[in-house]
Amino acid sequence: MWPELVRRLPRFSSAVLTGLDTRGYPVSVRCHPTPDRQAQVLRVAVPDGLGLAPGPAGLLCHEHDEDLWELDSFLVRGGLERDDHGWVFRPRQLVRGMSPTPVGNLRLMRNGRRTARRYLAVRGLPRPKIPWEHYAQLKEEAGGSPSGPRRP
Amino acid sequence: MGTLAVPPEVDAVFREFRTCELTTLAKDNTPITWPTVALYQPTKAKFVITTSIGLPQKAYNVRRSPRVAMLYSNPTGSGLAAPPAVLVQGDATCPDEIVTRSDELDALGRLLMVRQPVSAKYSASPLARYLSDWYLMRLLIHVRPRRIRWWPKGDLSGPAAELEVDHVA
Repeated sequence: MWPELVRRLPRFSSAVLTGLDTRGYPVSVRCHPTPDRQAQVLRVAVPDGLGLAPGPAGLLCHEHDEDLWELDSFLVRGGLERDDHGWVFRPRQLVRGMSPTPVGNLRLMRNGRRTARRYLAVRGLPRPKIPWEHYAQLKEEAGGSPSGPRRP
Repeated sequence: MGTLAVPPEVDAVFREFRTCELTTLAKDNTPITWPTVALYQPTKAKFVITTSIGLPQKAYNVRRSPRVAMLYSNPTGSGLAAPPAVLVQGDATCPDEIVTRSDELDALGRLLMVRQPVSAKYSASPLARYLSDWYLMRLLIHVRPRRIRWWPKGDLSGPAAELEVDHVA
């Protein structure tokens, strides 16, 4: 997991670190993690006063373009610790997110269909019908056409 | 039900940012964060987020543990210059009801059709509709903010301004 993490990390200009505060609520902050290759941890600078507590934590890297496309993301589950030098994120598991590649899109479609089918089956529900005509009307109202909306 | 009153620069972030980073809590309490689109409803003092039943993990997490956070820290596409970074902590609910049409879904759909033009291709042909219908089988997540903090101009080295919003619940 560590080699994949240090390979992916430089593709993103920053990351979102999330831990928990003392009330048990998540606390997120954007940061610039620095790999400590020897210890296989990420060092992170966290502003004072956030209320972050050592414990379970996550790190998200994501990007999109101006048109909310070219989605790219991954998530790392791990833990947040303090040592003599500051805060340390200890990675445990890397989870792939969105990928701007055709393979990534196909994976999303395949897994999404499968998971949706299971969601319905567990509850004994019929497959809901999508009101496509209604969506076409919304698209029209938003200034679009069947092949895509016009830009404002 | 109260109205959510925030400073204009925070209001602009809620309206114009294309995504926020939503965190829910996994079974082992690990915070799980993914980017998402949120509908800001200040007159109802809440945010609406949706997910597909094909990507239901955040819904499962919210049903087990309602504590969530939303960070607005990526201004790409917003058109805002030097906006604040905004952190919302709150409590979420997610009924086990599949929605394919509602006013809130329509509002989100309108936002996406303008802001994410390429998404139109998923309904452009019978084959596309067959392959992507699961994506429009939605679960609605309602987030009631409890605490909002923001860092002017996104400068995290300075102190955050803060608003406790328990009184609007």
